[in-house]
Amino acid sequence: MRVMRAEPSRFADVTSRSVGAAWRSYDLQLTTYAGLLGAIGLVMAYTNSVEAGQSLLAGGTTFSRALMWSALAIVAFTIMTALDYRWLKTLAWPIYGVNLGLLVLTLVIGDGVGGSARWVNVGPFTFQFSELAKILMITVLAAYLGNREGHLDSLSAILGACLLMAPTILLVMMQPDLGSSLVLASILAGMLFMSGASLRWLLAMAAGVLVAIPIAWTYVLRDYQQNRILSFLNPAADALGSRWQVTQSQIAIGAGGFLGTGLTNGTQSRGDFLPVQESDFVFAVLAQELGFIGAVVVFLLFSALIWRILSCAWRSRDPFGTLFGAGLASMLLFQVFVNVGMVIGILPVTGIPLPFISHGGASLVSIAIGLGVIQSVNIRQHRAEW
Amino acid sequence: MNDSLLVSHPERDRRPIRFVAFGLIGILVFGLLTFRLAYLQLSNGPAYAAQAETNRTAKISVPAPRGLIYDRTGKLLVANVATFAVKITPADLPFSRRDDVASRLGTLLGMDPSDIIATLDSAPGSRFDQVRIAQDVPEATARVVSESGDDLPGVAVVVETRREYPDGALLAHILGYTGSIDGGTLEKLSASGYLADDTIGKAGIEATFESTLRGTYGVELMERDATGRDVQVLQTVQDAVPGASLTLTVDQTIQKEATAALKWGMKAAGLKRGVFIVMNPQTGEVLAMVSLPSYDNNLFAKGISNKDFQALLADKNKPLTNHAVQAHYPPGSTYKLVAGTGALQDHKITAATKVRTKGYLLLGPTRFYDWNKRGFGLCNLNCGFGHSSDTYFFQLAGMLGADRLAYWGKMYGFGKPTGIDLPGEAAGIVPSNQWKIDALGQPMFAGEVYQSGIGQGYDVVTPIQLINAYAALANGGKLYRPQLVHDIIGPDGAVVRSFQPELIRKLPVSAKTLVAMRLAARSTVTLRHTYNLVDMPVKVAGKSGTAEFGTRDSKGRLPYSSWFVGWVGKNPYKADFAKADSQLIFLAFAYDSRTKGNAGTEIAKAFLQLHFHIKKDYLNRDLLHRGNFYQSN
Repeated sequence: MRVMRAEPSRFADVTSRSVGAAWRSYDLQLTTYAGLLGAIGLVMAYTNSVEAGQSLLAGGTTFSRALMWSALAIVAFTIMTALDYRWLKTLAWPIYGVNLGLLVLTLVIGDGVGGSARWVNVGPFTFQFSELAKILMITVLAAYLGNREGHLDSLSAILGACLLMAPTILLVMMQPDLGSSLVLASILAGMLFMSGASLRWLLAMAAGVLVAIPIAWTYVLRDYQQNRILSFLNPAADALGSRWQVTQSQIAIGAGGFLGTGLTNGTQSRGDFLPVQESDFVFAVLAQELGFIGAVVVFLLFSALIWRILSCAWRSRDPFGTLFGAGLASMLLFQVFVNVGMVIGILPVTGIPLPFISHGGASLVSIAIGLGVIQSVNIRQHRAEW
Repeated sequence: MNDSLLVSHPERDRRPIRFVAFGLIGILVFGLLTFRLAYLQLSNGPAYAAQAETNRTAKISVPAPRGLIYDRTGKLLVANVATFAVKITPADLPFSRRDDVASRLGTLLGMDPSDIIATLDSAPGSRFDQVRIAQDVPEATARVVSESGDDLPGVAVVVETRREYPDGALLAHILGYTGSIDGGTLEKLSASGYLADDTIGKAGIEATFESTLRGTYGVELMERDATGRDVQVLQTVQDAVPGASLTLTVDQTIQKEATAALKWGMKAAGLKRGVFIVMNPQTGEVLAMVSLPSYDNNLFAKGISNKDFQALLADKNKPLTNHAVQAHYPPGSTYKLVAGTGALQDHKITAATKVRTKGYLLLGPTRFYDWNKRGFGLCNLNCGFGHSSDTYFFQLAGMLGADRLAYWGKMYGFGKPTGIDLPGEAAGIVPSNQWKIDALGQPMFAGEVYQSGIGQGYDVVTPIQLINAYAALANGGKLYRPQLVHDIIGPDGAVVRSFQPELIRKLPVSAKTLVAMRLAARSTVTLRHTYNLVDMPVKVAGKSGTAEFGTRDSKGRLPYSSWFVGWVGKNPYKADFAKADSQLIFLAFAYDSRTKGNAGTEIAKAFLQLHFHIKKDYLNRDLLHRGNFYQSN
């Protein structure tokens, strides 16, 4: 009976419901906020290109690459919106396999700085599969936990989710990419929490993680990763090392003041005082050039976007949609918090990009895929009946 | 799996509390970030803005061109030349790579790597100040160094100017040299704008006239990037003002004549050290000042290697010391000027008073020998001074006593630096009773007073003091400060300070006494105490001297050092020494001469032949052969 009722709806979304009906449940706000954040990302790419003395539209500049990736992101977003998200549930296991395969591939043929293997060259593009892995794992976990809704008081489902996530985190750590590993862990935690898993067990596991930290410190973290954390805990010890980045970015942010110095006028970034100013530390440039006002606007856009994702998760009658939204919201919130927290000096330096704004195509395209899935969830269900 | 896909869950537990909790966490996160941002940007914004500005800009010193130095005829003695210098910023050179970089750089520059390490270790500034490793690097080498950035971290090639001394050793003791500033000096002078890799005058005129020559460094506000590279000059805060130039009193031609004469004499007599000074007694202007052995001051200007420097330091004859000024020696018989002047002025004798001279004087059981074992019989001033009779001057010294003798010594400027424009001038010693009590705990013995009277006691003088004392005699009693700098010329070419003679004192001596002493000095020549000097066409008055001191030879004999100080009248071909119109006085000092003749006198004659273009050769080469002592004062 249930099957009978469901069958038509599964294939008939586009056919049986008018495009207009789909459009009505499309979340225009979400797309707007995402679009505005993407535009700010382009503006920052522009200012960084100008300050680096690049001619804007020449191939390979920060700005022209950002334009190209933005176009790709729009395509990915559109495709994912059009695609029935339920295919993702069907294909969860193959997706999981592809995810692990790409990460292994990265370890085997990937390039990186100083012996690391973080990105893979695909023709003219370089792609960081650890970014894609975040979205793929959100998909896999949403399918897995959604299947077990109502049984999540048990430890087994929680452990199962952890076991599912563990190989991915390990493969990413081996690159080594501590930041992405932390994001994956935060996705796991956020989704378990939102899935309704037993708080008791979650707290017990959190305690377990705390116990595991000293062990991980000794056996898992690389020297430079340890140094970064140490320098955060004791800033004076390493004035010109990784702490230097933070000191310089705080100077940049502070110098921005209320209204900012204006685009392309960031003295800190012009003089190359800011390291990786177009990627992980882009927020420092933004805060200097657009000021407190600009930064708060960015915070508001992120808040609004996360709110729209959560509201989609709330409305979804399908636990997959709820969990996918929870995972995506967790990921965005965690990345914004850790990245901005690092730049403004309240968290240690970890290589986590700021969604939409940090330069880097994999992150943008992955988020676009995630948002596309959210829209797909939005337009393929009836409003919640409350 | 498929089964659950299709199930809608109107009864689903949506756990609103967890949504609310998530939302609260989100609000907390963004609140925290906003709060911190407000702290950075709103309450601390101005402070960070200032820091960003200092981050970006640096005040850079712009070295001012150093003033030039000319001789009195306008010949350029010092030039500024542009060179490539190799510098290291210690902060940019990882310690683990120091040895590697030093050996690479050593190979490229042809330097000893340990010299590079030593230079780095002794650099005065902070780790962020550049340290000059090498100057005068050939352009090809400079290019290689500047292109090996990755292999040579912290190493930079900088174009700077350095001093070049075209005459090198000829004027090294007068001009001195510039070199890298050392830590102690930097600490004292950094407030006056000296930089850690600055150069500073370290010897000679370069040192004494440092502040005049240096000029004022300019200041530019430079925009810099994070790696410290200069991006652009934002503002010139203060223009660099070039240093003033100097015209010396020294005449390069006379310096060359004096050097040639001294070199000839040193070679002929096998001397180890020698000094020749030429002055104008009417003004105190030094026309030439030679101290041999000398050194090439360009070595220092280019940055001397440790090996070369150690070799110069180890040389027993101290080429780095200006023996005309920085060393003192027993004056020998030339000091009889003091006893003679004193005895006349204190009315112990007149020029005509006959004093009995003998082979020796007895003082208790001790014999004080005259250089002439037979003595000269009854002797007046001309005889005593002219023959340089020791027993004559023992008696004059005895008449004066230690303190009056010391008084007249001091009046002539002995025992105190003359104040010549050179660093490190020695004071010499004029022994008085008080001096000996202070130095040795008891007053002067009578015998020591005798020895003092003939310049072989405790008294030691610098060559510049001695010539200056005779200059006062030759000019009629005016003791001038010897000067080396004639004019100071501003960067615009205007004379900032023109030459003024500086009187130290008018000697408290009557004209009559001075006339008597000048005529006595002439009799030194006319009595042929100085051999054939009297036969030369130029008419000289003066005094020779010999003193025994130094290291004994294998037979236990002390080496002799000989002096001659003499002058010619305004008309050098006329012998009217009652007049005090001399414009040329000269001094020769020959250290460690084991010769029959007075090497000092021969060197003075060699100078006169060169200076006055005398064709006939009056030099007594045979007297200068080493080995036999010439028993004369």
